[in-house]
Amino acid sequence: MTKLLLSVHVIAAILAVGPIAVAASLFPRFARESPTGTAVFLHRTCRTYTVVGVAVPVFGVATGASLGVLGDAWLLVSVVLTAVAAALLALAILPAQRRVLDGATGAAKRLAMTTGVFNLLWATVVVLMIVRPGSTTGA
Amino acid sequence: MRALRVAAGVELVSLAVLLVNLVTVHAKPVTSLTGPVHGTAYLVVVALTALIPGVSTGVRWRSVVPGVGGLLVLRRIRRAG
Repeated sequence: MTKLLLSVHVIAAILAVGPIAVAASLFPRFARESPTGTAVFLHRTCRTYTVVGVAVPVFGVATGASLGVLGDAWLLVSVVLTAVAAALLALAILPAQRRVLDGATGAAKRLAMTTGVFNLLWATVVVLMIVRPGSTTGA
Repeated sequence: MRALRVAAGVELVSLAVLLVNLVTVHAKPVTSLTGPVHGTAYLVVVALTALIPGVSTGVRWRSVVPGVGGLLVLRRIRRAG
């Protein structure tokens, strides 16, 4: 069962976080050119996959529980970083994209930075998931 | 809106599966698979409701009701037309 849960967790992470990372990174450039068409599509992509993305932490916790590693330091750090990344996406990136589409084009530059921080956070979490510092089952 | 309907259905059905499993055979694989499915559906309902433009605070609070939150939101929206 652990293998199935882990598979769902990884597939959901690739399919949900990947599109968000790409679409959010492209958004500021396209929005500066014109806040219609492609920019609207990129914003919709980010919104849709944010909702899909809630499966990632849920199945992640289920996997961690069935492996008995929920108390490990590397996992707790990952959880905190994931929470920060999720808050950044839901409370900063998506509302800022909405504001840019509504005409506040000045927010696009700041948005590029926020999106960069978001990408850095989840990349750090992925590395933590692979390296698992301090874990005796590490690769 | 279709996504919310699907998520609301999954939320209720998966909770029913979990509870029936709990009081009958209590098979561990059923619990460990249906649990995260229900958790995902629950959070998707809350997120989708938060993303609907212009819904009242009351509707948003209904989305966090366990099991039937999605259906309560749908009923409210349908009534509001």
